[in-house]
Amino acid sequence: MSALRLTVNGGEHVLDVPVGTSLAQILRDELGLTGTKIACNEGHCGACTVQIDGVPQLSCITLAHAVEGEVTTIEGLREHPLVEAFVRADAVQCGYCTPGQVVSAAALVAANPQPTREEIRHAMAGNICRCGTYPKIEEAILSWQG
Amino acid sequence: MARLIRTEKEVEGRFEEVWIVVEEDPLEQWPEGPLEVVGRPAPRKDGPERVRGEARYTADLRLPGMLQAAVLRSPHAHAKVRRIDLAPALALPGVRAAIGPGEAHGLEEEAGFAGAAVAAVAADTFAQARAAVKAIDVEWEELEVVLDPDDAVKREQLTAEPRTYERGDVDKAFADADVVVEGTYRTQTVLHNSMETHQAICEWQGDTLHVYISTQFIWGIRQAVAQTLDLPEDKVRVVCEFMGGGFGSKNGPDEYTFVAAELAKRTGRPVRCALTRREENTSAGNRNATIQRLRAGARGDGTIVAFEGEFRNSVGWSGWNASTEGPMRMLYDCENVRSVTYGAKLNTPPMKAFRAPGFVEGTFGLECLVDELAAKLDVDPLELRRRNYAASNEGTPFSSKNLEDCYRMAEPHWERRHEVRSRSDAVWKRGVGMASQIWYGGGGPPSYAWVRLGSDGRATVITAMQDIGTGTRTAMAQIAAEELGIPLEHVDVALGDSARGPYASISAGSSTLPSMGPAVRAAAADAREQVEDIAEQRGLPADTPLQEIVAVLEESQILGKGARGPNPTGMSVLTFGVHVVEVAVDVETGEVNVERVAAIHDVGRIVNPLGASSQVEGGVIQGIGHTLSEERLLDPESGRILTTSLDSYRMPTIADVPEIICEFVDRPDEHLTNLGSKGLGEPPIVPIAAAIANAIRDATGAEVHELPISREEMLRALREAEERAREKEKRGAPAAV
Amino acid sequence: MELLRPSSLEELDGGLLLHGGTEVVPLLREGLLETERLVDVRGVVPRGVDGAVIGAGTTLAELEVEPAIPDALREACRLAASPQLRSMGSLGGNLLQATRCWYWRLGYDCRLHGGDRCHARDGEHREHAIFANEFCASAHPSDVAAALVALGARVRTNQRELAVEELYRLPDEGNRSTTTLESGELLLEIELPPAGASVYLKAMDRKRWAFPQVGVAVARHEDGSPRIALAGVAPIPWRIEGVDDLDAATPLPRTEWKVPLARALVRRALAALA
Repeated sequence: MSALRLTVNGGEHVLDVPVGTSLAQILRDELGLTGTKIACNEGHCGACTVQIDGVPQLSCITLAHAVEGEVTTIEGLREHPLVEAFVRADAVQCGYCTPGQVVSAAALVAANPQPTREEIRHAMAGNICRCGTYPKIEEAILSWQG
Repeated sequence: MARLIRTEKEVEGRFEEVWIVVEEDPLEQWPEGPLEVVGRPAPRKDGPERVRGEARYTADLRLPGMLQAAVLRSPHAHAKVRRIDLAPALALPGVRAAIGPGEAHGLEEEAGFAGAAVAAVAADTFAQARAAVKAIDVEWEELEVVLDPDDAVKREQLTAEPRTYERGDVDKAFADADVVVEGTYRTQTVLHNSMETHQAICEWQGDTLHVYISTQFIWGIRQAVAQTLDLPEDKVRVVCEFMGGGFGSKNGPDEYTFVAAELAKRTGRPVRCALTRREENTSAGNRNATIQRLRAGARGDGTIVAFEGEFRNSVGWSGWNASTEGPMRMLYDCENVRSVTYGAKLNTPPMKAFRAPGFVEGTFGLECLVDELAAKLDVDPLELRRRNYAASNEGTPFSSKNLEDCYRMAEPHWERRHEVRSRSDAVWKRGVGMASQIWYGGGGPPSYAWVRLGSDGRATVITAMQDIGTGTRTAMAQIAAEELGIPLEHVDVALGDSARGPYASISAGSSTLPSMGPAVRAAAADAREQVEDIAEQRGLPADTPLQEIVAVLEESQILGKGARGPNPTGMSVLTFGVHVVEVAVDVETGEVNVERVAAIHDVGRIVNPLGASSQVEGGVIQGIGHTLSEERLLDPESGRILTTSLDSYRMPTIADVPEIICEFVDRPDEHLTNLGSKGLGEPPIVPIAAAIANAIRDATGAEVHELPISREEMLRALREAEERAREKEKRGAPAAV
Repeated sequence: MELLRPSSLEELDGGLLLHGGTEVVPLLREGLLETERLVDVRGVVPRGVDGAVIGAGTTLAELEVEPAIPDALREACRLAASPQLRSMGSLGGNLLQATRCWYWRLGYDCRLHGGDRCHARDGEHREHAIFANEFCASAHPSDVAAALVALGARVRTNQRELAVEELYRLPDEGNRSTTTLESGELLLEIELPPAGASVYLKAMDRKRWAFPQVGVAVARHEDGSPRIALAGVAPIPWRIEGVDDLDAATPLPRTEWKVPLARALVRRALAALA
């Protein structure tokens, strides 16, 4: 066990967990933030995407003890206009990848509020959606400001 | 009135005769076209919960005291456990129980494929369970491995008797044909890879087993678990409120459910058994590979006179022999058809239903062959399809078929081919291809729903079904709102728990909407009629808003109930469609860009055009993955699966998506239920591969006969086409002087 | 397991070095790497671009939008991996990533793991090498490495300075490693020599988020001569002098397709610089 201090969605957490525990595990099992999904658990699919200091990262292959910076999960982005844009555009089917999609998209629009289709495709290519909601995700991001 | 009938029930193209009690379906269908709520785009009722990460999937549930299970899987493609010792696992920290072959359904002594379940452990954490599984001491006796389907067919190692079919006089028809084309087509094994892996949590409370499971069929799980564990069905409760994708792979319980149930029993605690992504790729099923040897004969006028096909399905260790020959039998008006379909039993993971099983594979072969026939006849491919239009399903009338309208709607897209081709240059060749679609999707009884209406004028639809991500909650709410004449926002849908609602159909075979939709409408109509009775007794005019009528009820509630009526007797209920695809092929590097897909489908009434377009896009995109980049690979020596992770098993990303245009005939099937709707989950994945392959031929002259159309296959086909062209030029060139 | 976070090079003392973790963490979890001591080196590896010198801790995401670096390197970064992996993974880590060979990743007792056969040669090898594939048929997956080799970049470690090209070696019976890295050696900086135009072309089986089937980097050097390096064709980044060198490829039955593909891409890259 090893002490760990994490800032998640603005809140401070002090935990004692073994080194090697992933950030995704901490979020889901210790903090109850199950909006962050684990779908591959090896960094290939993007379902576990969170932001660390605004940068999208894969929480399933991030060691919790190595986190430097503030973690933002989907729970911290629930009031983001992208949420409503995703719902409006029907950019959700089974929904398992969707929180990760929103986290990636939120980082994209923070850096680039009016991305082109090409820029969206480049920035969102690490979030796999097996249902194929991609066209609607593109629409949601294009229209996120309403 | 209840009525007992003997009827044919179809799921995923498989039929069985069943006795069922149905209720009359006396409601007239609504008129065609958009109504107040039905037929108008509606964002998902549960969209906010899912998008905000609030929806709780099986993977998100944390029951007090819950243990985690891990499964020991065979490293060998075929082997027998000679000796197994669980003691080293039980001695490790955190381990609470361990079970071996025969101690839970699905844990077996003989492993028929690499990844077959053998033993399992429950521990406080998954890491502990996994470490314990590694400590189990097994002595294996390796057995002979068969991986090659041709080899299996030769040895008659089959999962079932070969299925044969014949109509007319095929030999004579081929002998008399003016033109004959033939080809061998191969499709690969593809993996479902739902984002939420297969998993269940089991908990015993007294003599009742609670099963929280990621499933497509709550009632099927209830029945199968009860049967297997010899429990009364009432003693099994199945819960699935949200699930992260299934695509046919989550239709029944598998070893993980029984492992969790048994370990829960032994430990007295809830146990989760969840597959890892690696296990998902080795042990959760697949769309089987096929080899299709096909032949078609036609008269010079373009009349197709004969089809013949030999189909070899690489079923694997278990699974069923899907109808790869179905499209050949049903899509065209052809008098003489003969087919034989083998299901090869191999030491590979089991086949499971995957979005239109059989027809996806069979349509690739058939619709490529038909295009080759069109080329040889020098007939326009769309025209050839029209000339051989099937007016009935082998003599049985269709409940409805508007494929002609699909073809008409395809014309403007098909017309673009001249302009598309003209945009080719020396490197990028462009072309257009098409393929037709036929598949089931009519659903059937039984399915039941209740509608609860309060004095606030708000209604709740209650049925113990699942929403697998297709927008079920929304469509059901739309139907109830329409029938009750209240706004969509005033209808909620409660589902996901076998203890809290009546029986509901499977969400597979594109059957959710056509099976449950009519029951929901019937329940809402029952409630509406009661409201009308109340209005009459209160002396209110007929057009009084519902909310006003029920306002006096206070705590009283109106309860409507409804059942799915029977399918029309003596009719074939099928879905139809056509895809027109534009591609660009880099003839030097073999890169294929799918640039535009027009997907036109005939599935009866469209309830939610927004959700429907999402279904079509999803099917098209999954189909593009099947066509271009996805393939499960095995080590040819050991039979172990090599593509177990998502960096090597490559599903499409957002960057692979073409422009997709969705169009619907949107005409209710007048013979099918009070709703006139068929299912749409599967149709859009059926024709896409053939349409892409046909577009590639149009663009480059290259004939691809194999999926996926990898660069290797594309470059091979281009080289072959080049050689063919050179050969032709040589033959056509004037003799040297 | 413990995690150390040294703040100076002097504190380094063994253990498994970790930067972005995109490679090390999954390999640890799969048991392909083992350690009791993890060392997070982010505190000691330089990050950022300073003229011709790039900190090995700079992420690929930072480099893909960096106007001051050569086109080939920027494009190699832009087309590598996925956005999240690019924002986590460092330049140094990318250079040291292991092969994607499925046999190696699944822990087969292959030559790179110290065994006595290459399973891919006899088995499933459609994504593997067309050069130097006799001992081990794996294909080097780093786009960035090919770009840096073509650019003639040099790397400074905590022990020495060498050409990026010299970072790699073909594995053999006596030494199964594909790098020349010594134990405890850590990449610190990459230095780019002055170069003219450069280009990176990459064939993938998806439009994004795929390893190179074939990657071709070409850089024009001061004397005007183009330098070509390929990814995805040999166990290490592979230099060729010109398109004709591809005639000397020794593909396996199912990697033959990579030869015409590489030929087309090399021609295209050269033409782009002409």
